[in-house]
Amino acid sequence: MKVFFATDIHGSEVCWRKFLNAAAFYKADLIVLGGDVTGKAMVPIVAHHGYWQAVVRGETIRMDSRTELENVEKQIRNQGFYPAVVTQDELQALSAEEGAVDRRFSVEMLHSLDRWLDMADTKLGGGKIPCILNGGNDDFFEIDDLIEASPVASFGEGKALDLDGFHLVSMGWTNPTPWDTFREAPEAELKEKIDAAVRQIPDLERAIFNFHAPPYGTGLDEAPALDENLRPMHGGAVMKPVGSIAVRDAINSYQPMLSVHGHIHESRGVKRMGRTLAINPGSVYGDGVLQGAVLELNAKKGKVTKYLLVNG
Amino acid sequence: MATDAVGSETPTLFLRKATGLVRGWSVRDSIIYACLATNFVTLGLYEFTFAGPAFPNGQMLTAVLISAVWVSFLVVAYAGLIVTIPRAGGDYVWQSRILGSGLGFVMAVTGWWFILWLWAPIYGNILSVQLFQPIWATLKWTWPGGGAAWFGTHTGIFVVTLITIAVAGLLVSLGMGGYARVQKWCFLGGMIGFAVIVILLLVNNHQDFVNSFNQYGQQLFGVHNAYDATNAAAAKAGISTSPFSFGPLGPTMLLVPAMMFFILWPNWGATLYGEIRGASDFRRVFTGMFVGLWITVVCTVIFFLLVDKTIGWGFYQNLNALDYNGAPTFGIWPYPFMFAGWLVHNTAIQVILILVLSLWFFAWVGTLFLSSTRVIFAAAFDRVLPDRAAEVSEKRKVPVYSLMLMLLPAAGLGAVYAYSSTFHNYTLDATLVIAVTYLFSAIAVVLLPFVKPDLWKASPASRIKLFGVPIVPVSGVITIGLLVFNLVEWLYEDNYYVNRHDSLIFMGGMYVLAIVIYVVARIVRRRQGIDLGLINKEIPVE
Repeated sequence: MKVFFATDIHGSEVCWRKFLNAAAFYKADLIVLGGDVTGKAMVPIVAHHGYWQAVVRGETIRMDSRTELENVEKQIRNQGFYPAVVTQDELQALSAEEGAVDRRFSVEMLHSLDRWLDMADTKLGGGKIPCILNGGNDDFFEIDDLIEASPVASFGEGKALDLDGFHLVSMGWTNPTPWDTFREAPEAELKEKIDAAVRQIPDLERAIFNFHAPPYGTGLDEAPALDENLRPMHGGAVMKPVGSIAVRDAINSYQPMLSVHGHIHESRGVKRMGRTLAINPGSVYGDGVLQGAVLELNAKKGKVTKYLLVNG
Repeated sequence: MATDAVGSETPTLFLRKATGLVRGWSVRDSIIYACLATNFVTLGLYEFTFAGPAFPNGQMLTAVLISAVWVSFLVVAYAGLIVTIPRAGGDYVWQSRILGSGLGFVMAVTGWWFILWLWAPIYGNILSVQLFQPIWATLKWTWPGGGAAWFGTHTGIFVVTLITIAVAGLLVSLGMGGYARVQKWCFLGGMIGFAVIVILLLVNNHQDFVNSFNQYGQQLFGVHNAYDATNAAAAKAGISTSPFSFGPLGPTMLLVPAMMFFILWPNWGATLYGEIRGASDFRRVFTGMFVGLWITVVCTVIFFLLVDKTIGWGFYQNLNALDYNGAPTFGIWPYPFMFAGWLVHNTAIQVILILVLSLWFFAWVGTLFLSSTRVIFAAAFDRVLPDRAAEVSEKRKVPVYSLMLMLLPAAGLGAVYAYSSTFHNYTLDATLVIAVTYLFSAIAVVLLPFVKPDLWKASPASRIKLFGVPIVPVSGVITIGLLVFNLVEWLYEDNYYVNRHDSLIFMGGMYVLAIVIYVVARIVRRRQGIDLGLINKEIPVE
């Protein structure tokens, strides 16, 4: 079975479209998106009389027609941001009202994901090509129900999905980060979640872990060391392991066939951990490039026979 | 869900709390990196000893200024690449994405891996002439046999090269955390040391220098009336020097390719930037590299002016020329900062000054292998090299195999460098091969708007314009001009030594080795059912 795995597209519409096309492009039997599906930023497009205006990557852009507006919205979505068309009054209200930006973010994220799942329906032949999605620590919980309800995508969190003799378990939760994001938990709690998921797997020889957090200290979890203002220290030259100890211990003790991860974008790599092949394909969603892993799994042998990290 | 708003008066961007919203490293860090990479003390002083005598009719001051202005365009071009594709891996990533995987691999492994084998003995020699030799001479130590001069012997150079390789390897093994802190203190200490030299050369006059030179020349090396003896030896050898001025332009232009040895590297460390990028990032990236480069230039200009005022320009050229001819006045490399230290007339202070100035070396030597190990890792993850090349030892977190791939060839070349009578001349090979890698990145930046129009339009670099013309691709064209000019001069002008038969074989061998590795990898992986051609093939969007 050939699997395409990608992760951390963070709202980039161009990466989502590439993800949907990856099955055909790499001739994959299954596509998996590891988490952090939603974007991190929202760009207000202010409606004036007869035109719209927005600041995109530092440049003020004036749009005089609907077509221009749509083009700019597309450009913003491709960067992984959400365009939010607002009036001047709405913009002031967003700035002034407590929680107003959060509410607008939620609306835009759910609306965007809903559109994406509609695209998936068309691209994946109404479910002919299996697609597994999961949340990551940056995804708020409202997306879970939306994915669960989709006829074309399976929501992976906490389940053991049977894939032609392989069993895939997913966990979008990570160990705590400096940003205090949605799905973070102490290591002990992560261990409980992992153990609960793994108990559902009948055959660990053919198990696949899809855990958003990479295993600690394996080179798949190296991120720039940050100061108290969350800026890289010492010119960004200093990297430190920031992965999960619970994930590392689970891989070492359960020894699944394959373990795929994300979360740390700059730590693209591969690590052998006993019989387990652990992979973090990394992410450069901001460039519109979909990094991923093409994996060939052999059910008889219970092993990954081929893998390739790609920049699609 | 907590959020931030970005914008001066009305918000133009709302950010929610999410992992990794890092805005990039500080301009100050970037300046220090660029300044240490274009290391005026280690690389600059070393190169002046060679460049001045090789092209005696040229003017080094003018050559440095022309080089720096030209390299400033390289800074603009690289700033454009960095903000468009801000990835660790730099040239490898840019060239692979824009020009193709095979070319990206060959240019990256030659420019960032293979040629750094040669940088190890070069750095070893610099450590020898800027630390061991002057310390031994100042303290009049006679062990090992020959004292300070022993470090200039074949075995001496080789031993110090091995020390350099061990220090660099150790620093990589220990991790960059502690080293980065040390690096900043080294930069500060090195600058203080340079400031002391400036003050010494400023407050003393030419006669003070002649007197101290004669006194310590006699005291430490037994050379009587060393100042006049140097000039007499130069005259006897038929050495001619030009007075300190700005021209003529023709011979001065021949010095530009030589100056690349220290001035071509302001872009060395700038590959880590945040995900949320704007036009301001271009200014930050550019400023870091540009200011770092020009601090180096200012230091160089101050040094040249003070040499002319206190040491004497013609005398400095004579010292260098005698060393270049293999007959240095004191039997060791003519380290101008050691001579300036003699103005203090206190051995302890002289030794401290040499030690403090050696911080310029230790601030940068650890990065010697760092970029190489990253390229080796990237190539292993791309399945071009065996998986083992990217392995890190469980216990000590040391990249054992990639370090071996650096250390062993570097030690081997160190031996050749030390014991061959001609190989050490090819120091500019080390510049040339990296310049070729830069050339393809410059080509990539020029082609970027055409090959990756969406990426280019989304880049802050596309909005940096002068009279409506985007300056990044134009700077790429000017950078191509700089690099082609240098390559042509290096290959046609004998005095750079890189067009010698064995030098060309040495460099050509590197490219052949890279191509062979890539072709073999493609064949082996294809047999394994893995198509390496897929690595950078873009998935259609629609």
